[in-house]
Formats: sequence, C-alpha cells, structure tokens
Amino acid sequence: MTTFGSTAALRATMDAYFRDVGAAAEQHLAPVAWCTSVGPAELLRALGFRVFFPENHAAMMGAARTANRYMPLAHAHGYSQEICSYLTSDIGAYLAGESPMQAYGLSGTPRADVLVFNTNQCRDVRDWFEWYGRRWNVPVVGMRSPRAIETVRDDDVDAIARQIEALVPALEAVAGTRLDAGRLEHAVRASRECSDLWEACLRTAARRPAPLNFFDATIHMGPAVVLRGADEAVTYYRTLLAELEGRAAARSAAVEGEAFRLYWDGMPIWGRLRALSSLFAEFRTAVVASTYCNSWIFSALDPADPVRSMARSSLELFIVRSEEAKEDYIARMLDLYHADGIVFHDCRTCPNNTNTRYGMPRRLGERLGIPTLVLDGDVNDLRCVSDEQMRTNVEGFIEQIADARPAAGSAAS
Amino acid sequence: MSQESMKLAAGIDIGTECVKAVVVGDDGRVRGRAVAPTRGYFQTCAHEALASACEDAQTDPAALAGIGTTGFAMECVANASVRVGDSSCHALGAFQQVAEPMTLVDIGGRDPHVIWVDDLGRRTDARGIRRCALGVGSFLMFTARHLDVPPSRLQELAAAAERAVPVSSYCSVFSAGEVLERLREGATREEIALGCIQSIAERIVEIGGFRDPLYVCGGVVDYFPGVLTALQSLAGVPVRVVPDPIYTAAVGAALMSLRQGEVS
Ligand code: SF4
Repeated sequence: MTTFGSTAALRATMDAYFRDVGAAAEQHLAPVAWCTSVGPAELLRALGFRVFFPENHAAMMGAARTANRYMPLAHAHGYSQEICSYLTSDIGAYLAGESPMQAYGLSGTPRADVLVFNTNQCRDVRDWFEWYGRRWNVPVVGMRSPRAIETVRDDDVDAIARQIEALVPALEAVAGTRLDAGRLEHAVRASRECSDLWEACLRTAARRPAPLNFFDATIHMGPAVVLRGADEAVTYYRTLLAELEGRAAARSAAVEGEAFRLYWDGMPIWGRLRALSSLFAEFRTAVVASTYCNSWIFSALDPADPVRSMARSSLELFIVRSEEAKEDYIARMLDLYHADGIVFHDCRTCPNNTNTRYGMPRRLGERLGIPTLVLDGDVNDLRCVSDEQMRTNVEGFIEQIADARPAAGSAAS
Repeated sequence: MSQESMKLAAGIDIGTECVKAVVVGDDGRVRGRAVAPTRGYFQTCAHEALASACEDAQTDPAALAGIGTTGFAMECVANASVRVGDSSCHALGAFQQVAEPMTLVDIGGRDPHVIWVDDLGRRTDARGIRRCALGVGSFLMFTARHLDVPPSRLQELAAAAERAVPVSSYCSVFSAGEVLERLREGATREEIALGCIQSIAERIVEIGGFRDPLYVCGGVVDYFPGVLTALQSLAGVPVRVVPDPIYTAAVGAALMSLRQGEVS
C-alpha cells in the first residue's frame, strides 16, 4: 500500500471523530444516531446528533481480521452464515463485549438513541438495526427505497423526500430540538463539498501513473464515510487532494512500474487489502478505480434544496440502479480511468454489492471488448476466501491482458 | 536438425496431485516426459520428475536451455528461468498440440477452468468453477479410495452401472460425505462411481461458454476417462482430448521458457 504524508491527518481526523462519538454516548453529551452508510446523515447532523456508522465499525473488524472471531456468536443467535457478514461481525462483537472502539478509549460500541436506516443498499441494514432497537428499546426509523432504478424520476424523488420529511418529528423528539433550516443547509453544503473533494482525489488516479489505487482509497475514504456533512471531512480532503495532485504532477506512482490498469467492482475484501494490493503490485497492476469508493460521491446534493437533493442522491447511487444503468456507469468509468479490464468481486454474503450473478461480466466484456475476472470472496468472512484461488486467477488474468498487447512482454516474473 | 544442435527446455507443472515434467525441443516436439505423485516436499517431487523426464529424453539436465514452471507450487523450483500461471500454459501447451483456436477445459487436481484460446495460443478469457467445487481431482481420488479401486479403474466401475446415484452437492467436501451416505444406504460401487463422475461433468458444464472446437486437458481425463464420457454427453458440442492431456501445462511452461530465450 502507498505511504501518504496525509496519513497522519487521516488518523487524527478519525481518532477525534471516534472519541467525540464515544464521549457523546458514554457521557451523554449529545444524542447519538446510528446511520447506514447512505442514510440521511446530513439531517442527523443538523439535529445535533453524533452520527455513528456501523458499516464502518464492521469494516474495521474485517481489516483487523477479528471479524471471524465474532460472526459465530451472531450465527448462534439465529443470524445465518449466508447474510451480510458486516451484520454478523458487528452483532457478534457486541455479544462478545468487544469493539475496535476500545482502541479509542471507549468501553465498547457507542450506544444509539435512535437508529436510522436506508434500504436503498439492502434489507440487511434494517434487520441489523432492528436487532439493536429491540435490545436497547430505542426507535428504529428509516427510508424504504425502490430498487433497480433505470432513470431517477421526479416522482421517485418526491416519494423519498416525503419519507425524509416524515422522519423529522421522530428525530426531533429524540434529539430534543427542532430542525433548523440553516443547519441543514450547512450540513448539505459541507457534505457536497466533501463529495466534490473526494471525487477530485479519486480522479487523480485517471492520470498515468496513478498516484493512488483502490486499496489506498478504501483507507482514505474514512472521513467521507463517517464525517459526511461535517467540516472536518472537508478539511481532510483538502489536505489529501493537495498531496495527490503533487504526486500526480511528480509522476509518483502508487504501483511501481505501472503497466496495467484495472477497475474493481464490488465490496473490498477487508482482511486481504494488503495481500491483494501486494499481489496486484507484483504484476505491475494498479487498480485505479472502483464502484465502491465512487459510491461516496453525491453530486446531486444541493444546499439550496436540501431534502429533495438528499432524496435524489439516495436514488442515484450505483447500488440502487438497474443492470443497464450500472453497466453504462462502469463503461464510463473504464473510459475515464483508462482501465484495461474489470475485476468483479463476488461477495458471498452481500448479493447487493455483487454484480456477477445476472450475467453482467459477460455482457460488459462483450459490449466493451475488455477482459473481466470474477473473484470469489467476502467482505468480512475470510472462510469464503481462498488465497490460492485468488492468486491463480489474478495471475492468469494479467497474463491474458499482457499477452493481448502486441508489443508488450509477458507478465511472467 | 540433430539432437545436439537442438535447444531443449523443460517444463514442470507442480500440481496438488501430481508433478508433471517434460523436455521439449525448439521444434515444439516433446522429447521426454515423467509424472511423480505430489507428496512430501514439492522441491523433491519436482526434482524427481525433472530427472526422469531428462532421462526419458536422454539429455543431461545441465544441457537444458531453460526451465519453465507452472501450477500450484511453481515457486518451489529455485532454478526456474520462467514461472507462468497455469491457464496461460494450458492455452499454449494445447495450442502446440492441436494448432487451432479452441475452448479448452482444464480438469486437474484443483479447480477446473474453461479457457478460451486464440490463434496464437494465448488465453483470451478464462472462467473457473464456483469456489466450493474446488479440488475435483482430489475428490475423485477420495472416491476411488472409498470404493476400493485404483483411480484409473473408477471408469470401469462406472461403465458397469445401470444408473447413477446422484452426488449433487456443489462442495467437494460435502460430496465426499454424500459418497459415504450413499454407500451406507446400499448403493453399489458402480452406481456411485458413475454418480461422482457425472457430478464433476455437471459442475464444469455450469461454467458455460463452450464453443466448437472444444478440447479437454489435465490429469483427470487421463486418470478418470469417465469424466470425458460424461462431459461428451452434456457439453452440446463434440469434445476432443488434447494429446497427452496430463502434460499440457508442462508443455506450455517449457515453450514459455524457450520463448523467453528468444527474447533475451
Ligand atoms: S450492502 Fe452488503 S455489505 Fe453493506 S450492509 Fe448491506 S449486505 Fe452488508
């Protein structure tokens, strides 16, 4: 993985965020809301909530490779091995009385006063939150989204906007305050600014050689996930963008001797980030862009029309789109980032973020004339990952791309 | 060209069940071949197979222009001149033998692959089997052991069956469990042998994308020809076998090594 000067600022930003949420929960300094990754975070911030994102919490356990210790506890509570391993890691850790938050001085997962979901990504988030809602006897509210959307229509936007508005009274009751239009506008503005800066950071990888790759981006996206709508995220991405632009200008490569460029679709395999980063680097391959990291770009957000623009962003998201809309999006990204092929991660426990099961790799391969590879794995459950199979498949795939280049040498080492 | 003036290279395919070694001349012809079962240290097996292949080719290992390695433990040969992934080696090895673009099915000890090969012997695409069906070769070895026949006789047993008992799990480990369950329930060895062979063929057909001409390579068709028969009945296109199918990847690795010599 690439070493960035901004990493110190990243750590400080994330550290301050975790301690702030923890203090709010443990010392009752502010109300705490749990929010799904693309839930109405801006609304929650405007109401003065400290916002906690359990998907980020679960990903931390995946990256630390502790998730597999916890999942069996959730399985024993009737939550299947086949459902989201974020959910089972997180609930299992709670049952074990452990949390990555303990490294930040918290006693465990910060307890929520309200849990707010958005089913645009999957049903699992709602089931996940309802488990805690029953446990803590706190409200679980959210947005119920249409799925597989071809074109985002105004009536869909209206429907979601009405759902967001309908959340306000329940959230005001928990927060003990009224929603202030100015604060909502500020949160949406900060969120949009964060989104634009994050997009610009990712976009530097369109240059050859790419100054950052997918594996680096999954680490540096932390503030875009947990501090969307807060000024701290904007400050961090200004720092990161300046560094990335400097690196791009100096032709400083994330992957030494970059010869091949790939696009990644699907969830990261958190417990194998470093291993995969090294594996691709061994073959001088930069994974330059991904659906996953791009999913925190919300270009529709508009402080002049906060609620409707939040609704539109929620519906424009890749995961909630039809196959055709997704394929068009990936085609645009391949072009933008000059990618030679696509790696699809078939994430065993997340069908929602897996695009291999209804023929997309073959359709896209034929339509664009580019090679595609499907890697079997999982976001957190390493029982679903075969390192050997992954290596064999990646190796063969890159050899194939190398062989197809008229004058290029073999990728063989 | 005399043997003396010919450049020779070795290819070693270090698989999970067997190590295959060949010596190939720069005319592309295979001069020597050997198989050693994979057991103990990979290095020792590779050394043993290489020595036997050189003996078969009547050449001194020191006279080799290079050694290409491929397969599960390709890293284990310290003096390899080139290491290449097995699907590229299968593609080139098969192309050398049949000289036409093809759909190639490689069925070895681990995960079967369907590989599409172009008119230069290059892999243009490849698809593997779903993860839980890995280890088909090893699964058939397990089955042969439990049915108490040498691996190569599994086919004879299957041929004598009037019907196949279904062995239908996606997972090789579950399938192994199913074999024992069917035996306990009173199924005959013949019926189980046929059921296992058919289940492998079904998993491979599920990978899809078969186009004519379709060739098969890998150790499984050598040891368990019944898989080929089952595949022939399911594939929807004629199925042919690459000559010397167990050596295909080793031949590809040797050719890669010779090619590398041309570049450098
Ligand atoms: S989108 Fe997938 S990984 Fe994310 S919460 Fe839902 S099921 Fe889990």
